[in-house]
Amino acid sequence: MFSTLLSDEPGSASRRFFLWAIVWLIAPVFIGLFMAILLYAPPVQLLEPAWLRPYINFGRIRPLHVNLAIFGWLSMVYVGAIYYLLPRLAGTKLFSERLANLTLVLWNLFVAAMVISLPLGFNTGRKYAEVVWVLKVLFVAILVLLAVNVWGTVRRRAEKNLYVSAWHFVLAATVFIPVYIIGGKVVPLEIVNGQLALDFSGAYVGMNDNIINFFFVHNLFNVWFTTIAVGLAYYLLPKLTGKPLYSHRLAIWGFFTVWTGQHHQLWSPSPYWLQTLTVIFSILAAIPTSAFLFNFYKTMEGRWSLVVSDIRVRWLVVGTIFWGLTCVQGVAQSFPNFSLGIHFTNWVIAHSHLAFVGDYSFWMFALIYLLLPEVAHRPIYSRRLTEWHFWLTLGGLLIFMLALFAAGLIQGQNWMTGGIPFIETVRAMNSFFLARLIGGALMVVGQLVFAYNIYRTVSAREPVPSRAVSAVAAPASE
Amino acid sequence: MAARLQSLPVLLGGSIFFLIAGVFVTIFLPSLEPAASTPTAYARPYTEQELRGRAIYIREGCWYCHTQQVRPPEVNLGTVRVKGDIGPVSTPGDYVYQKPVLWGTTRQGPDLTHVASRVDDKGFPYGSDYGWQRTHLQLPYALIPGSVMPGFGYLPDDEMDALIAYLFTLK
Ligand code: HEC
Repeated sequence: MFSTLLSDEPGSASRRFFLWAIVWLIAPVFIGLFMAILLYAPPVQLLEPAWLRPYINFGRIRPLHVNLAIFGWLSMVYVGAIYYLLPRLAGTKLFSERLANLTLVLWNLFVAAMVISLPLGFNTGRKYAEVVWVLKVLFVAILVLLAVNVWGTVRRRAEKNLYVSAWHFVLAATVFIPVYIIGGKVVPLEIVNGQLALDFSGAYVGMNDNIINFFFVHNLFNVWFTTIAVGLAYYLLPKLTGKPLYSHRLAIWGFFTVWTGQHHQLWSPSPYWLQTLTVIFSILAAIPTSAFLFNFYKTMEGRWSLVVSDIRVRWLVVGTIFWGLTCVQGVAQSFPNFSLGIHFTNWVIAHSHLAFVGDYSFWMFALIYLLLPEVAHRPIYSRRLTEWHFWLTLGGLLIFMLALFAAGLIQGQNWMTGGIPFIETVRAMNSFFLARLIGGALMVVGQLVFAYNIYRTVSAREPVPSRAVSAVAAPASE
Repeated sequence: MAARLQSLPVLLGGSIFFLIAGVFVTIFLPSLEPAASTPTAYARPYTEQELRGRAIYIREGCWYCHTQQVRPPEVNLGTVRVKGDIGPVSTPGDYVYQKPVLWGTTRQGPDLTHVASRVDDKGFPYGSDYGWQRTHLQLPYALIPGSVMPGFGYLPDDEMDALIAYLFTLK
């Protein structure tokens, strides 16, 4: 059993990571749908069996929705892709396929433990760092195993000059470890009255707790999600268009925005100078973003028609448009006046889905449709279903986001008018919540279509000889 | 140029430098602010029961829907029942006894920083009224039609009391 679990068949870890990622995609989309129902019609709660009620109450499943989507689905596609692409970019084999498969087992353990512990109410009270200390330690161990494999592979590379995507992987796999350790207070020590004491709460004291929490939140996006996603986009772009990347020099600009945590908390009680500083850095972040978009645009030149004919290019391009929007909003939201109008409202929910669904997930769909046939040695089962997946997800997401962006603007205006009873501003959300529910339901159906298509793909009986599937090589480079 | 910039040590060294500098400037320096460790009138140490209530507040995820921070521009303006009843602005010293802080990021429900000081438009101090809090927590949408707050009727009595005791600290 251990020999299959910790198989050394090349590509096995990637394949498993992709497939498990899809399992962990279906779970949070259903939780999201359920939350949308609860916000539209809270008394639905009364239809639940009484014994179950505590465990599926809004405040228990909301962290599960978020954590599964980002640490289950997204992160697991990322790691599958790194394990598959890094060796190819480096012109060597993966340092250890067994170790990679061990990472997968531990990763699934981590995610499964979240599925149990969060509904039970084990929650540290800190955003994106909700899981309890033991699980954080497990996650750090997982990240270290990943880093060992990444570094081991890079060190024995045959290619002297690694393609830019590989730099992104190495950077993220390394720098995310200290970010997670600091942000989640994984070292369980604190100083109380000048004495060193043990503390497993994962929290810091007072204002600093929020500052560190949002240092973590921001760099989780910046160092982990964005860095790897952009690295993958830089892989997909030349690969899918058949054109070399327009500029490599532009490509390496993007990492240095680790300073902007408190732009998530403008007007908060944290120091004014700190907020100002983070605003400045948030505006500076427009530079690497623009560089990426410019690079993307120049590389796409002459290949735009692929958006129609190749579903993967379509995911990539639409995802990139959403990415551009995410960044424009990100800069706008870090202006204090704008922040005042939308902070705490449903706008923020729309913004995070713009980033995590519209951008990162869209890119990952392109990636899975490209790589899964290679790791599973089978062509994608149905082209029609890939179209359904695309249009349902895009349509659903647009309805979802437009509803919540509008809802957020209205909420913000209502609050800043003064004198409108709060409950009126809640009631005003009802029809927007219905629209969000409909959009969300479409997205859920889209993901079910996706999962079914992939299921049929991997369970197809006749593996085609791997020659027939387009061979993977490093993308054309300068 | 491109090749040199892409050398691994430079890139990694640069990133780690930025990270360390970032931690120093955005985490370490703010922690030296005296305001962060000087308790204000709104800061108070918790009793055991209140702490327990606070843990229940975290466990039940109240903080995903309620913030605990009043921003300067909304003072005298922010409204729950009566204009301005969102309460006085929050300052770092209000939080010195809190771990973690529950500042929150969304307001599906109103800010709760000063909920225990609130009175409704008829002058009834519902925020500090045990009976009101309990009835509300048990089935909010029955008491306040259109509320999206879920019911917490499943909480055992001692937990409910602890939670309300905690809410009463939010003055
Ligand atoms: C799904 C979001 C949501 C969750 C979760 C939630 N609330 Fe609420 N809460 C609301 C909304 C909306 C209102 C306003 C309508 C009302 O009073 O019911 C509200 C109002 C309140 C009020 C009255 C505030 C006032 O001044 O009128 C209190 C107190 C409160 N909530 C406490 C809690 C506690 C304690 C929890 C956790 C056990 C909690 N809430 C969980 C949404 C939520």
